[in-house]
Amino acid sequence: MPVYLFQRFITAFLTLFGMSVVIFVLLRLVPGNIVDILFSSAGFVNPAAKQEIAHELGLDQPIPIQYGRWLRDIARGDLGKSYRYDIPAWQVIKPRIPVTVELAFFALLVAVFLGVPIGVLSAVRQDTATDYLLRTLSLAGLSMPSFWLGMVIILFLVSWFGWIPSMTYVSPFEDFKAHVLQFLFPALAVGYRSSALIMRITRSSMLDVLREDYIRTAWAKGQREWIVVFGHALRNAMLPIVTVIGIEFAFMIGGLVVTETVFNLPGVARYLVDAILWRDYPVVQNLVMFIAIVVVVANLTVDLLYGWLDPRIRYRVR
Amino acid sequence: MNRPSGRLLVCALLAVLPVSVADPAETPKPGGILNATLLEAPPSFSIHDETTISAVWPAMPCYNNLVLFDPLKKQESLDTIIPELAEKWTSQDGGKSLVFSLRKDVKWHDGQPFTSKDVKHTFDTIRETPDITSKLRVNPRKLWYENVESIETPDAQTVVFRLKRPQPSLLLMLASGYSPIYPAHVPVPELRSKCLGTGPFKLKEYRQGELIEMVKNPDYFVKGRPYLDGIRYTIIKDRGTRYSALQTGRQDIAFIWEVAKTIAETTKHAAPQLVLVETSTNVNDHVIVNFRRPLFKDSRIWKAINLAVDRKGYIQAGRQGAAIIGGILLPRPYGVWGLPEDEQKKLPGFGDPVKQKAEAKKLLAEAGYGPSNPLKFAVSTRAIPTYVDIASYIIDQLKQVGIEATLEQVETGVWHPKMSRGEFEVALNLTGIGPDDPDANFYENFRCGSIRNYPDYCNPEVDSLIEKESQTLDQKKRLALVHEIDKRLQLEGARLMLGWSKEYVLMWPYVKNLVPHQSIYNYGRMQEVWLNK
Repeated sequence: MPVYLFQRFITAFLTLFGMSVVIFVLLRLVPGNIVDILFSSAGFVNPAAKQEIAHELGLDQPIPIQYGRWLRDIARGDLGKSYRYDIPAWQVIKPRIPVTVELAFFALLVAVFLGVPIGVLSAVRQDTATDYLLRTLSLAGLSMPSFWLGMVIILFLVSWFGWIPSMTYVSPFEDFKAHVLQFLFPALAVGYRSSALIMRITRSSMLDVLREDYIRTAWAKGQREWIVVFGHALRNAMLPIVTVIGIEFAFMIGGLVVTETVFNLPGVARYLVDAILWRDYPVVQNLVMFIAIVVVVANLTVDLLYGWLDPRIRYRVR
Repeated sequence: MNRPSGRLLVCALLAVLPVSVADPAETPKPGGILNATLLEAPPSFSIHDETTISAVWPAMPCYNNLVLFDPLKKQESLDTIIPELAEKWTSQDGGKSLVFSLRKDVKWHDGQPFTSKDVKHTFDTIRETPDITSKLRVNPRKLWYENVESIETPDAQTVVFRLKRPQPSLLLMLASGYSPIYPAHVPVPELRSKCLGTGPFKLKEYRQGELIEMVKNPDYFVKGRPYLDGIRYTIIKDRGTRYSALQTGRQDIAFIWEVAKTIAETTKHAAPQLVLVETSTNVNDHVIVNFRRPLFKDSRIWKAINLAVDRKGYIQAGRQGAAIIGGILLPRPYGVWGLPEDEQKKLPGFGDPVKQKAEAKKLLAEAGYGPSNPLKFAVSTRAIPTYVDIASYIIDQLKQVGIEATLEQVETGVWHPKMSRGEFEVALNLTGIGPDDPDANFYENFRCGSIRNYPDYCNPEVDSLIEKESQTLDQKKRLALVHEIDKRLQLEGARLMLGWSKEYVLMWPYVKNLVPHQSIYNYGRMQEVWLNK
């Protein structure tokens, strides 16, 4: 196990290193930089002034040198300075991370609490009216982008209640109810879509397990339905479900752009788009690295969970 | 106060316009927080560094100018300029000196006294005089003060602007929201991330990309102002969400620059109590041909392009009815300096579209282009829906005279550098003018060699006329000169003008004394605004 863990950490490190190179180079391949944008609509443009700012920001250096400086600064715990806001990038990023993580967490809760029970029920009632209804609901969830659902929710709230959640972040310590309402609707919009995927995986995984001999034996022994379904079948059907949940969480962190925009939540994803448009390299690089770290950690966690869920699994070094 | 002549003319223009929405019967009530909307985060709080309304609108309440356009008057002109930090001003030496007497009771938000040194510091920083200690990161309005020879401060309450030649427009530029006075004791770069002025509101909190919160300045030099306790500028990026927030009363006023006619009408329909004010943005739409390219040295080509475009169709299809036909300067009823409609309609491009298209085809044929040898070029524009809509309409119009034009969408970040470098053939562009003033427009966009003279149009005769109008103190004579220049610029293809867009400001009826002007950049002080809740 320790050797396996070590190997996984090395792989994760190499993945993140590769990501850092890709992010860094791709950003600089996009036409225009912050200096162009700063001067974009200025009537008077002094080329020397442009050059001065490019020098101040280190943008006149060759890309490998800029990359080396970034890595050096990260190693020192310095994320650089936001070109746009002229303050440390960490100061810009820090308040946004909890917002996105909280939204992703709530959305995942919605997804799991909707997707798993519905998937189980659908499998247990296979080919009945209930199954067809639940599968239709699931298909609808997969077909609707979460941002579109978010817009529909907003329109519904405006039309029926003449109300929408707060447009600025409300701390739970300031107003708990407003805080919950602020996250509830976007979590529903994102969670519903993810729940559809989880439901489908749960259903197919459960159907496989429900056909196993040991389940038939449990039924034959006259065990109660909930013990057979949840105690035996679901536990053995969990591996693919956990995999999907892990992947969904990782994707949620980076995929909340439009939902955060629609509900005006000041999260990482929404800000990332803004930062890309401004070519705010330090902020973009560090935010994308944060997302990459979340994805890598989520994958690692899922892999480690396998052993806990199924004791037959042994970690070996190849 | 010695004001330039021509007052009668301006007064006559003002007489035909609705001037103010303020109801004198209502007594202003102090208190309340105004919930205003922004569509993006301001790039910084340093107005002198910026060129966007997203910066001016939330930063303006923090600062004061020497003079300002009366916030309660709808139409800005020399006659609507009121004192702010200057108590009074006089024009001396035949218009070559502008002397300001400053208020004595003004303090910066950090308690330091305001003096003439602050005024000198501000404009010396913009003029980039050798003795300045810190520079602006970007200095977009240096040209505005090119005619200022020196700034003198005989005492703490007097400032003298010595000019190279008389320039009545200088006062208009000083009255713009783009001309706040900066504190001399704070390094200019610091003002990008904080707002330290003398204005009616102080910056309380800025949550980057989310919220700007201002609170009333209790030491404000105008007693009894501001009425509001504070202002919350919420940044809402999604357009649908912005209007939902307005409709549900979370926001009191929409952002002042983006409301398309259809959206305004839909929102008003959904919430009929909302007040919808139709105004102008002082932004014009035009087509640019690149005179650097040999193709456009042949005047028949650009004349054909000009004649091909039906202007009424542009208003309907390109702007969904939310524009007016006009020339180089904003026409009436919104502007003061634009060509009268009957004169504008006599110019090529503004006549009968059927006849004009026939004439355009004839010109193209004379230049050697026809169905067997169609003229081809790309029409570049910014990758923003408003631009793309109008450019698509232009391309359709060009096709009707046999020109095969293709659309090139350019990302905002590279749009202006690309245009400055002349890397285009034909372009559809929008230009916003700070104050409604000939100098602010002519010098920046039409003078030989100006960086924003994108088509590279150059006529020394027109440059001389611009110099002449700029120093003409008699406003009647100046207006005649401005009209002459306007016509010449259009006849020579300096810009193929389409028209001027209209703006729709939406707010709840309890928001009082927020009067939209013809230029979006000049009425964000919020000193007079109050809430009748």
